[in-house]
Amino acid sequence: MKLPSRNVLAPLLGLLGVYALFALLGPDSFSSARNLETMARQTTIVGIAAIGMTLVIISGGIDLSAGSIIALSTVVVAATMNAGASPLVSAIAGMGAGAAAGLLNGLIITRLRVVPFIVTLGTLLIVRGLAKGIADEQKIDAPLSWLIDLLAALSPSMRWMIVPPGVWLLLLLAVGVAAMLRSTPVGRHIVATGSSEATARLCGIRVERLKTGVYVASGAAAGVAGVMQFSRLTVGDPTVAVGLELDVIAAVVIGGGSLSGGEGSILGTLVGALIMTVIRSGCSQMGLPNWVQEIVTGGIIVAAVALDRWRHR
Amino acid sequence: MRRLWLLALSCLLLSCGESPDSGRTTIVVIPKGTTHEFWKSIHAGARRAATDLDVDIIWKGPLKEDDREAQIAVVENFISRGVSGIVLAPLDDAALRVPVLNATRSGIPVIIIDSGLQSDDYISFVATDNHQGGRMAGQEMARRLEGRGRIVMLRYQEGSASTMKREQGFLDAIAESPDIVVVSDNQHGGATTESAYAASENLLAPLQTQDGTLTIDGIFCPNESTTFGMLRALQDRQLNGQVRFIGFDSSEKLVEGLTAGDLDALVLQNPMAMGDIGVRTMVAHLQGKPVERRIDTGVVLVTRDNMNESTVAELLRPPIDD
Repeated sequence: MKLPSRNVLAPLLGLLGVYALFALLGPDSFSSARNLETMARQTTIVGIAAIGMTLVIISGGIDLSAGSIIALSTVVVAATMNAGASPLVSAIAGMGAGAAAGLLNGLIITRLRVVPFIVTLGTLLIVRGLAKGIADEQKIDAPLSWLIDLLAALSPSMRWMIVPPGVWLLLLLAVGVAAMLRSTPVGRHIVATGSSEATARLCGIRVERLKTGVYVASGAAAGVAGVMQFSRLTVGDPTVAVGLELDVIAAVVIGGGSLSGGEGSILGTLVGALIMTVIRSGCSQMGLPNWVQEIVTGGIIVAAVALDRWRHR
Repeated sequence: MRRLWLLALSCLLLSCGESPDSGRTTIVVIPKGTTHEFWKSIHAGARRAATDLDVDIIWKGPLKEDDREAQIAVVENFISRGVSGIVLAPLDDAALRVPVLNATRSGIPVIIIDSGLQSDDYISFVATDNHQGGRMAGQEMARRLEGRGRIVMLRYQEGSASTMKREQGFLDAIAESPDIVVVSDNQHGGATTESAYAASENLLAPLQTQDGTLTIDGIFCPNESTTFGMLRALQDRQLNGQVRFIGFDSSEKLVEGLTAGDLDALVLQNPMAMGDIGVRTMVAHLQGKPVERRIDTGVVLVTRDNMNESTVAELLRPPIDD
């Protein structure tokens, strides 16, 4: 196992810095084991969606529809459960709906040759509308099931798991996708396509198929994030996660992903997502007003991107 | 470079941070949002009670006004932090069940204010009888229209228990007058004044005739943002005063509208009392005293005739800036 590259080192130091700052200034409860678990849970939804987004951004694209896909997924999970499906089937349906939306993105981008920003800006609205339509413009109440426990605080008898199953799923996905990126041909093809699409094409990479696959993966990841979101809300909510795609993209960018493609890492992305959770939790526990939190998060995003530009000089 | 922004960050945090010392009773009050004047009144009431009883309160709303997820995160963060008690106005009657259960499991009592929760894990529910408030609006509408006419109702938002009860109360009262026709009751104003304004414009457009008059006789809106959005839409089209218009809650602009005759009546809750009683009830519970399971904070119907009576005036213009 190699040491983390320089690209990941910077955000990692940033995370430690922000954490140390709040541990120092905030109440004792901030650095408690319990709060670490809470922060891990609060990072999971953005984290899972950001794993898919990392692939898209490395390949030189962007997926603005992630937040809407999460909402669609919560609605599909709740609707299928109400229709009598088992929780597992509902969760798979939620992921499937996400993958289908991703396939739509991928096909429009590669077949109609419209830039990803515009296509996913369109599907952001299309998917959100679809979610509201399926839900009949209301939230859908669903029966309580084990899906709720995916991301709920652990009850005393479940303490041996350390963190809830949803967080384990995030880690498992992260390790799997990171390994795929680093050591499989597909992973290297994604990086090559993002670095220079023309060169990748000359090398015989089937760029269209690869890109479509990347958007399907991103959609499926957002779908899984939606299942986690459902677990937290316990209802299917077509208005949830408005603007969440921006948090997801920010996580990738803070973690060293470059919007011009070819760069980014799963570890960096997770660190980026954690930085935002730490700021949120720290500000909240110190009783700081929301506006401070927004300014701090915004400042860190700009600083991270400025750093990215500076490295590329 | 990094040192510099860490320094800047710590200055910012230090200057704004209020870290209450651990020995005192600390109650966190979590509203649905922080910008509506309604919540500012609740905050004022909570502060008044906190000063009287010598306890600390923390006021922290979700980052986005209509975001269930954000409010869940706020509740969780305060469970981790370990406050003495939580006074919560839940954004959603179902989604906040699990966080409230977690708080109770962690030994932190929860009092629900303003909107209901489908759960039994709270100490007390301190709120307006919203159905009754809606009924009062409906009866006033029927009285002003003398039991005959066409009306519309602009709803607030899906899943908001308090406003849905008002809407139902209004429709129930209207149903007693068979000659009043409800032309539209399925449009939603959404979370912000801006979205309510757009929804009002869309709702009014097909109801306007060529010569600029309206084909309806009455309008009801169930909260501050929908009432204000509708008021603005009426004023922009010079339709104000043409219809009987009844709203809910108050703000500076709504009081102006009432004075000018653009609004006929407002149903007022008592948010000051809600914040005040919420905190007082929590303190009483923490001191081991028995508390009521359901506390009604009352509603008042305000028209131009009674708006200057002193008890009503305080509700119309709550002293929120001291």
